[in-house]
Amino acid sequence: MALPTASRVRRQLPTSPWLFAAPGLLIIGAFILYPFVSTVVNAFTDRRTLIPGEFVGLDNFRELLNDDMFWIGLRNSTLYVLGVVPALVILPLLLALLVQKNIPGITFFRSAFYTPVVASIVVVGLIWVWLLDERGLVNSLLETIGVGRVGFLSDQWLLLLSAMAVTVWKGLGYYMIVYLAALANVPRELHEAAAVDGAGAVRRFLTVTVPAVRSTMVLVGALSSVAAFKVFSEVYLMAGPSGGPAGEDTTLVMLVQRTGTGLTGRVGYASAISVVVFVVTVALMLLVLRADRRDES
Amino acid sequence: MPVSRRTLAAAAVCVVLPLSGCGSGDGGGSTDASGKIEGDITFQTWNLRANFKDYFEGLIADFEKKYPGTDVKWVDQPAEGYADKISADAAGGTLPDVVNVSPDLVAPLAKAGLAMDLDKAASQYKKEYLPGAWASHQIPGMTGTYAFPWYLNTGPLFYNKTLFEEAGLDAEQPPKTYDEVFDAALKMAKETDGKVATLANVPTIEDFGRYGVPLMNKEGTAFTFNDAKGVELLARYKELYDAKALDPQALTATPESSGKKFLTGAVAMNPGSALDLGNFKKQAPNLYKNIGITDQITSTGHVNMYVMGVMVNAQTKRTPAAVAFAHYVTDAAHQMSFAKQVAIFPSTAGSLDDPYFTKEDGTDETRVRVAAAKSLKNAVNYTPVLFSEQMKTELRNEVAKALQGKESPKQALDNAVGACDKLLQQQG
Amino acid sequence: MSVMEKVRPTVPAPAREPRVTDEHGRRIRVWELALRYLLLLGVLALTVGPFLWQLSTSLKGPTEDIFSSPPKLLPGDPTLHNYERVADTIPVWDYALNSLKVATANVVTNCVGAALAGYALARLRYRGRRAATLAFILAMLVPVEGIIIAQFTTMRELGLNNTLVGVVLPGSISALNVLLMRNAFLNLPYEIEEAAYVDGANVWQRFLRIALPSVKGTVAVVAIFAFMGAWDDFLWPLIVLSDPSRFTLTIGLNYLHGTFANDERLVAAGTIIAVAPLIALFACLQRYFFRGVGEGAVKG
Repeated sequence: MALPTASRVRRQLPTSPWLFAAPGLLIIGAFILYPFVSTVVNAFTDRRTLIPGEFVGLDNFRELLNDDMFWIGLRNSTLYVLGVVPALVILPLLLALLVQKNIPGITFFRSAFYTPVVASIVVVGLIWVWLLDERGLVNSLLETIGVGRVGFLSDQWLLLLSAMAVTVWKGLGYYMIVYLAALANVPRELHEAAAVDGAGAVRRFLTVTVPAVRSTMVLVGALSSVAAFKVFSEVYLMAGPSGGPAGEDTTLVMLVQRTGTGLTGRVGYASAISVVVFVVTVALMLLVLRADRRDES
Repeated sequence: MPVSRRTLAAAAVCVVLPLSGCGSGDGGGSTDASGKIEGDITFQTWNLRANFKDYFEGLIADFEKKYPGTDVKWVDQPAEGYADKISADAAGGTLPDVVNVSPDLVAPLAKAGLAMDLDKAASQYKKEYLPGAWASHQIPGMTGTYAFPWYLNTGPLFYNKTLFEEAGLDAEQPPKTYDEVFDAALKMAKETDGKVATLANVPTIEDFGRYGVPLMNKEGTAFTFNDAKGVELLARYKELYDAKALDPQALTATPESSGKKFLTGAVAMNPGSALDLGNFKKQAPNLYKNIGITDQITSTGHVNMYVMGVMVNAQTKRTPAAVAFAHYVTDAAHQMSFAKQVAIFPSTAGSLDDPYFTKEDGTDETRVRVAAAKSLKNAVNYTPVLFSEQMKTELRNEVAKALQGKESPKQALDNAVGACDKLLQQQG
Repeated sequence: MSVMEKVRPTVPAPAREPRVTDEHGRRIRVWELALRYLLLLGVLALTVGPFLWQLSTSLKGPTEDIFSSPPKLLPGDPTLHNYERVADTIPVWDYALNSLKVATANVVTNCVGAALAGYALARLRYRGRRAATLAFILAMLVPVEGIIIAQFTTMRELGLNNTLVGVVLPGSISALNVLLMRNAFLNLPYEIEEAAYVDGANVWQRFLRIALPSVKGTVAVVAIFAFMGAWDDFLWPLIVLSDPSRFTLTIGLNYLHGTFANDERLVAAGTIIAVAPLIALFACLQRYFFRGVGEGAVKG
């Protein structure tokens, strides 16, 4: 990657844009996109971990339609998007408004609110499993105040809800920062004009703040829905590898992991599920972006 | 610009294409172990480094001294992700020469031609091992034996005497049969208003085996645990679940979580091994004083045992050294010294007759060890070698549905057998 | 991380607002202030509380009941015993050193690679730019759990399995980081570079001397993400590495599960060991980090 010589400074070297992008393209090409292409190819075979497969056409996809577990996975991943995304679009915005004012100690609070983002998901999982354990802190507190113990980690729906809560808990700080950045760009004249008009805090929030950060809300919505649909770690760590009671908490990516890994993994079938996940996330992304464009016009 | 783009594309293809070749294909691998024992080999164990580093380093040093010119590299993997690690290595052609395996890991490796047939390469050693242990790495539908048997484990059933007494059960006369266990469990639940469960785990494939349910047909081509006996067992469990005699959280329990429940007195009985006794002593000294120990429940007269094996990579380039080392690790002398390090049992013939496994000295540890060693002589590894992780999940989920009442026990087991048969066929 | 050290002189921190006023300089009423602190403390308890509870558990001795109800929030007799046991079981320092190497390498490759690619996507004109952008967006959507074996096969073909390089490589330039850098560069006014262009600066000079210094904050964001990602990863290092002397801390801490599954105190100590360096790193970098966010790094 030699630097261009001084005589040519006025003209871009023809290859230089590609030189800039090359390392990145090479890495994601070789380690993400290329393996994914082989995943797409595998989706049409009956390949297993140790046995090279044969082309089976659409058999895997046909089998998916009749696989109860696939529908459970699709249901849970969809529920996850529906449960997590609204919370992650709204709560961090409120939090950002709370930490926006420069009152004493606010930097400490901002940093502290970001801590869950920094911790690894495995650590976060362990911490919450211990907190929500039948004999953990939360249940001890609930028992002390007389509510009694709750089976956060044994009931199918409570498990899913607990996992969602952890996702939201871990994501709050991250999206709070995103909103802080956007709020910094809201012209103060807008607020002042509204205040002069006698608008209350709630009204100002709805008529000034929300429209001003709308595009950020769309971005947060897009990022969080893609991540939510691909959820794996939270549910895996809390509900266990088999996905909670009777596997009812299995998500699609958990199903990919369960069917496709290990020495007896059905790589072909798992690849088909991966392809479905990919297609749905692309669709989700497009959907959010299109909703955005329609709103704008 | 188009030129540079094409160049770049070509460069990209050059980088990517060589990657598309599939793994393995390293050649090597004869079953002739008669050559000179020399060369570098790699030995992989499963979660043993943390506690037994000195033992294995000593063992390897002794081997290298005995066979000059050999160099054994020891690698160890943590408990979690072991199957993922082995699959990646097997698929990528980087499987170590000598690998610590369990029977269910051996089966797919043998089918893919990655595990060496020891009936061919090491038949002279066969007589050194307990016949049952040697047979545990044979695979239905294939001839041959694909791993040396290594350590065995089994254990008694622990129970909480205090809880038994509080429920009006005789703490000195623990249940001995399945019927007695179920009756005691129901009584316990009734007396404590469902607060104390007796069992913490849903039945697994080995429980069906111990209950006397035939698990597979003789040819090893289809599962059979949905017969009347299997349905009966599941129906009993359903009864327990409804009465809260089976812990309500059993559907999501893991061996660790049920162990914890026993420790905290939320569950009255728990299967375990001699290893757990030390744990109880340290973590729950109060419980330890009130622990009762009884024999594993079985309807077949044979208790369940777990078998660990050591297999030789069929593609190893150092067959003589790899076979010699695998045998060295598992021979009677080394199994004996390993057994004295930790509460496991040797699979070599005659070792269990050693005074260490027959003479009581009044401590609980020894009592458990002697009883376990005695029961091991005719113990069975119930879990079929062809029963994969995916099949375990299928069975677990169907059992859960039956317990929740979403399906009848018969329906659930039919579904599980159907799903497992399908997976079995797909394994090829 | 020299990039960040040069930050201070060039971009002065925004002047501090007079105290106890809002962002528009208006005074805040006392009751409103009190309410704000109350809410802040509430959220603080929710976000940091779980970590403190874990810390407290890890400091409780073997005789202390950790299941009591009502719960005991503070250890009665704090002890480092559990940490000693963790250190006795696994070579924590060796593994932490490996993690540090991997994480540092990951920070460097991500900062450099993502800055270069981000600049190319945002500021340079050439045919295929849209396709390149699309490639990064698609890469972000790929479910990685499904491609891990294919990644391993690739790594083996390159002869990099069982090396720390192999651990770093797949995530060395992540698509998300490239897109973050692209957004940051997009938000820079064009005029800045135009002046340099007129002065005859070539693309490398413009990139190094003008564009890059203006997005240092985003580089800090990328650095933190890269460090976190590498430090926290479990499955990929496990698959790639065989040799225990090369293990990273997350793999090492997994031994605690297998060996002491029943002991919450020990698991707690392990998680604290895993998370403490990250919190420390973040505490050091948070100034740059929050400024980076101000640049609109993660904005739409």
